[in-house]
Amino acid sequence: MAVQTKQSPPAPKLRPTPWLRKFTSAVGRPLFAFILAMIAGIIVIMITSQGSPGDRLSAALTAYQDLFVGSFGNAQNFSFTLVTVTPLILTSISVAIAFRAGLFNIGAEGQLAVGAMVAAIIAFKAPTWPGWALIPLMIVASMLAGAIWGGIVGILKAWRGAHEVVTTIMLNWIAFYVTDYLIEGPFKAPNQADQTDALPKQATFPTVAGAYNHTLGTFLPQITNPQQYPIDISIFIALLALVVYWFIVSRTTFGYEVRVIGQNPKAAKYAGIPTKRNIFLVMAIAGAFSGLAGSLHLMGQFPYQLIGSTFRIDPTGFDAIGVALLGRTTAIGVLLASLLFGGLLYGGSYMQLFANVPGDLVYIIQALVLFTIAAEFLPAIQRALPRGIFASRKPALVPPVEGATISDIPENDKNNGSTLQEGALTGPPGVVRGSPGEIESTGQASTAVDDSNRIAED
Amino acid sequence: MFFQVLFRVLGSSDLWQATLQFAALLVLPALAGVISERSGVVNIAMEGMMLTGAYVGVMSALATNNVFVGVLGAMIAGGVMALIHAVVSINFHANQIVSGLAVNIAALGLTNYLLLVQTNGQGVPHLVNALRLPIVTWGPLANIPFLGPVLFQQNIIFYVAIVILIATQFILFRTNVGLRIRAVGEHPQAADTAGVNVRLVRYLCVIAGGFLSGLAGAFLAMGIAGIFNSNMTAGAGYIALAAVIFGKYNPLGAGGACLIFGLGEALSTRLQDTGISPNLLSTLPYILTIIALVGLVGRTIPPAADGIPYDPGSE
Repeated sequence: MAVQTKQSPPAPKLRPTPWLRKFTSAVGRPLFAFILAMIAGIIVIMITSQGSPGDRLSAALTAYQDLFVGSFGNAQNFSFTLVTVTPLILTSISVAIAFRAGLFNIGAEGQLAVGAMVAAIIAFKAPTWPGWALIPLMIVASMLAGAIWGGIVGILKAWRGAHEVVTTIMLNWIAFYVTDYLIEGPFKAPNQADQTDALPKQATFPTVAGAYNHTLGTFLPQITNPQQYPIDISIFIALLALVVYWFIVSRTTFGYEVRVIGQNPKAAKYAGIPTKRNIFLVMAIAGAFSGLAGSLHLMGQFPYQLIGSTFRIDPTGFDAIGVALLGRTTAIGVLLASLLFGGLLYGGSYMQLFANVPGDLVYIIQALVLFTIAAEFLPAIQRALPRGIFASRKPALVPPVEGATISDIPENDKNNGSTLQEGALTGPPGVVRGSPGEIESTGQASTAVDDSNRIAED
Repeated sequence: MFFQVLFRVLGSSDLWQATLQFAALLVLPALAGVISERSGVVNIAMEGMMLTGAYVGVMSALATNNVFVGVLGAMIAGGVMALIHAVVSINFHANQIVSGLAVNIAALGLTNYLLLVQTNGQGVPHLVNALRLPIVTWGPLANIPFLGPVLFQQNIIFYVAIVILIATQFILFRTNVGLRIRAVGEHPQAADTAGVNVRLVRYLCVIAGGFLSGLAGAFLAMGIAGIFNSNMTAGAGYIALAAVIFGKYNPLGAGGACLIFGLGEALSTRLQDTGISPNLLSTLPYILTIIALVGLVGRTIPPAADGIPYDPGSE
């Protein structure tokens, strides 16, 4: 039954958001963050280089040029960038879907590690199986392993209240040490130091260029020197995963429930959403995406083997947090932000080689992006500026849309049952502004719902 | 066989000396976490503050040829990283976990970047003994069998850490200042009403944490290792974070947790003779933390206002 609350103060007129404003509000903050970080990067290079200010500026611009050329400048470099992008997309989905439920998945790297390890173990245990059986088995097993690793976090969070930030960090280190033990112990390649054997040939993916030459290339123009382009076909699986992610979050009941939990756990509880079960499920799904990233990278890229201590220094699972935030946890955002971060990462090594500026600059830029997105610099600047310039965009997070009422609120909770604003749920997620790690979060979106609570109680 | 080795190792003063050394290294950032979280600011940035402290400590010691300047530089560097975290999370209402992660990423990027630029890719040299934090030998006490090497031949920072640990416990729970800090973390509105400057207290607590973490970085680079290596903290800040929670946001509790983690770390490299992989033994502290979190040692409850930015004027 629909709960009829007292009519709130004159309801704002429902009017469609102009696409331009929608676009700027979705892209404005991430873009602002990125530009600010790039400018700060220029300053860092200028401080640490030598010569006159002019020389320093040109050194910075040359470095940025190399950064760009190294990431997107030509087909070969772009192909290398995509190699970085593939696992980044999957781990970012993992982080993003947890964000949607108001959870911080810092454990993507550990989930990736167990995924890759389990896939490798299967390949070594069944080296003679044909590829059509082995590859799906490895993929499913890696997803399961990741799901278990993430699911543990979900269970501990849902039923014991253990903070997921700490449990994911702990499980990361457990994953790193256990995989190192397996790589350096039972699965060590004979006569090799701290690495496994390579996967059997049939358990590896062809490169995109190679696959093209053998299929479409037989009647279309061939790609010359396909070995120049290392990107393998797992990029398509990553793109498919993006579609799956979009579908889960936007088109399923589960996705809807997850978003309600993320925006306002109390409302979710009153609405009868099984919060605990969904927290477990969302962490398991998050883990599955990360586990998939691990097996795909193993199967897709040279040297098709696991090397000791790799996961410990591999930053993918942590970069994913920045990607998910920069992409505002939407599928298209994750794709664009992955391309951007992947480009920065590969371009950074290129820049180090050619412009003699350390590639670690990329991490400084990345940290600044995180700071800027996390901090409400933009609203602060807006407050400082005279009204009217940005003023229209300030309450963008919760557009005043007349809400769908949640109909199945328990009878005795009538007073708490509020018109749950649909806008609060479809709007950009509150994670960027609020504190999703805490269940008692004060994210803006949930504040808006609280406001309507208060109105209802008046 | 296993127990033979275990008992031999447990009886050696070498193991306990290493345990206390690791524990002292961990307890400083853990105290940073305790102070910061008690004041209501979630802090997972100890790793980054330590790393920055280690780098700046080594570089400023080398530049001035003075070990004290090195330590001072390390503490200031840790304080600056903490200040960034404080500004972003207290004034700009940033998500404090994202901000903490950003500090860690920035520290890693910045130290690697500067290491390459400032040393032309050569890396810093080993510190000569004069630039290393000295080991204090307590005269005849150091000659007591077993206890001597364990307790009376430690690095100077070990003793500093013990003093800071006890002082923190005393200040937090026995003084007016501590009451204010805890009030700000539990109920900032009430504290504000009582005339406590909520933001100032939080700033001071986070920055004090930065000093402590920077000191730990100096201890690691200038005391234990004698050199700076890329990413040399290798997760120590995160273990300290675990110790904060394991110790239920109490200084002495965190100190106890650090002892356990220190023992785990010291054991993991000394039990190879038993045939158990050091990699597997290294997982022990993390498994212990999860067990602690799950509640087998009682539930850990963070301060009520932990992680929530305070807005004067909000209800």
